[in-house]
Amino acid sequence: MTTAAAAPAGIGDGGELRRASGRLRRRLLFDRAIGWILLAAFAVVLFPLFDMLYWVSANALPTMSWGTLTENQVGTGGGLYPMIQGTFVIVGLATALAVGLGVAAGFYTSEYAPPSVARLARIAGNLLAGVPAIVLGYFGYFLLVIYAGWGFSALAGAITLGIFMTPYVYRTTDVALSSVPKGQREAALALGARPHQYLGRVAFRIALPTVLTGVFFAMALGLGEAAPLYYTAGFNSYPISNLTSPTGTLSVVIYQFYDNPASFGHFLALAFQAAFLSIVIVLGLNVAVQLLSDRYRRRLRGLYQ
Amino acid sequence: MVVEAPGDQPVPPAAGVLPAVDDAPARPPPSAARGSRWAWIGSPVALIPLLLVVAVAAVLVAASHFQDFGPSFWSTDYNFLPADSAASSWGIGAFLVGTGITAGAALVLATVLSLALSISIVVYLPSVPSRVLTILTNLLAGIPSVVYGIWGYVILAPYFALSLEPGLRDAIGWIPGFGGPASDIGPHGLLLAIVILTIMIIPLTTALMREALRGVPNDLLEAGLALGATRWEVARRVQMRSARLGIGSAVLLGFGRAIGESVAVAMVIGAVPMLPASLYAASTTQASFIFYQLDSAFFYPVLLRFLVEIAIVLLAIALVVNLFAQRLTQTEIATATTVGGAGGPAGR
Repeated sequence: MTTAAAAPAGIGDGGELRRASGRLRRRLLFDRAIGWILLAAFAVVLFPLFDMLYWVSANALPTMSWGTLTENQVGTGGGLYPMIQGTFVIVGLATALAVGLGVAAGFYTSEYAPPSVARLARIAGNLLAGVPAIVLGYFGYFLLVIYAGWGFSALAGAITLGIFMTPYVYRTTDVALSSVPKGQREAALALGARPHQYLGRVAFRIALPTVLTGVFFAMALGLGEAAPLYYTAGFNSYPISNLTSPTGTLSVVIYQFYDNPASFGHFLALAFQAAFLSIVIVLGLNVAVQLLSDRYRRRLRGLYQ
Repeated sequence: MVVEAPGDQPVPPAAGVLPAVDDAPARPPPSAARGSRWAWIGSPVALIPLLLVVAVAAVLVAASHFQDFGPSFWSTDYNFLPADSAASSWGIGAFLVGTGITAGAALVLATVLSLALSISIVVYLPSVPSRVLTILTNLLAGIPSVVYGIWGYVILAPYFALSLEPGLRDAIGWIPGFGGPASDIGPHGLLLAIVILTIMIIPLTTALMREALRGVPNDLLEAGLALGATRWEVARRVQMRSARLGIGSAVLLGFGRAIGESVAVAMVIGAVPMLPASLYAASTTQASFIFYQLDSAFFYPVLLRFLVEIAIVLLAIALVVNLFAQRLTQTEIATATTVGGAGGPAGR
């Protein structure tokens, strides 16, 4: 083996270690030991992941049936249909809002805004992502539930959650559009495209997969977060027929189990089922993000070279 | 023909992470788009995020009714008497201390673990295991925070109360904080909250540190290796050193996430608004307290305003920490001489 082939991964290979002696041997041994110690960190981090996944599935699956998805909650029994419906309605509306605000703002930041405005807008986008979820919950509670007089409602929950999700959509849109290769712009304009034609037919198509990963990612975050919804959407164990009534969601059901002293027996089972369902949905979205970004990477490989 | 540096490719969002602050590659001013149709709606639309941040702050300030709790607002003395709110004392010190202890300790643990994970992934592991472990670490970010809370409350808490905490007290009880009395109100405590928070912020800090380490120019790594340095020596003396601002920014963003976490912490910390006697005692944080107390505050306007003021202080801290984090990343970008080392779109 020649030294020229020694890529980073090749350093500290068995062969080198066998040939080395003295101080170099000690250094190589130390290097390997560190490698194993660092690997141990994964055990610390992955144990909670697998334990949570196992614990939730083991408690949820035996009690789950078709009725879990289709029946209303009755007392401490029944199914989770109202909360599943509520989750889909609220996360769906929130996604629509986040896409509307985030894509528009990202588009203008990347393509139209003068550099100083774009800089300010990017800083603000990161700041918005840094606002704690519960603070957004307070914002939604006071502005929509109290001052606007909507009471606990699906709409108030969806708007609050949408604002929570906006910065992620915004930032991915901005990055995706800003990273469209210059050659694409020049080629489009050279062929006589108007600027808006270039944006709509060239730039946006190249950026779309990245924007979609951002949207899925924001949805996964929104599904898992109870803090913005607890005081805006409230809770309801019946399916909703309009957007102004209190609405139950999966993440709030899980919290209700904890908060309720009498929450054992079947109600506990409901909480586990809700946890299982939200994990499954979130993991599904994660897989979608992964597949999308893989496909995207393959597709772009040609574009960028 | 200008060759596009691989660093110009967009990076898909990693777990809970916004792409770096100002990673928009150098490009000509978008003169083609400016001045065209739709340009007139420009700046206001771009500034939607700013308007939202300002709106959140404004609504909270309005909701506080500018209630003045006097100088004792910054004391650690909090005692709400529903029957006689005039005799109540309103200090947010205990909340600040609880937030600081939980987020600070969780951040120390998470920083050590995340550094280990990201160095493993970037420097040591071959590409397939490193990809698999990256995906697994990111899955941790996909578990709803309520599930963390309930898992900590049901699974970890008994173990903590029966084994870990007595063991720690016997072993290192002489260290301040590790020796005091345990929590007497069931499965709650600071230590439990710290551990849960640590696990919760690890995906974020790991993803950010990974990107920071990956951003170190390959030339530097190759120079180190060519001089005969081992992987660890390169990681410690070259990568960690040149990525230190990115790592610092990751730490700050992790802190911002940790102070804002409300639901999971509320479920395991015990909501006791007093200075904790030890790490085993129940305590509270700003975020978890305002989450836990809002529904009982409904009939007490003063309590409601107090909660809102805690929220304002929390928001202010979160925004300042976030600004510092952004400043660090921008300094890094300004000082970076090469951008070609990212090695293509970094895998999630």
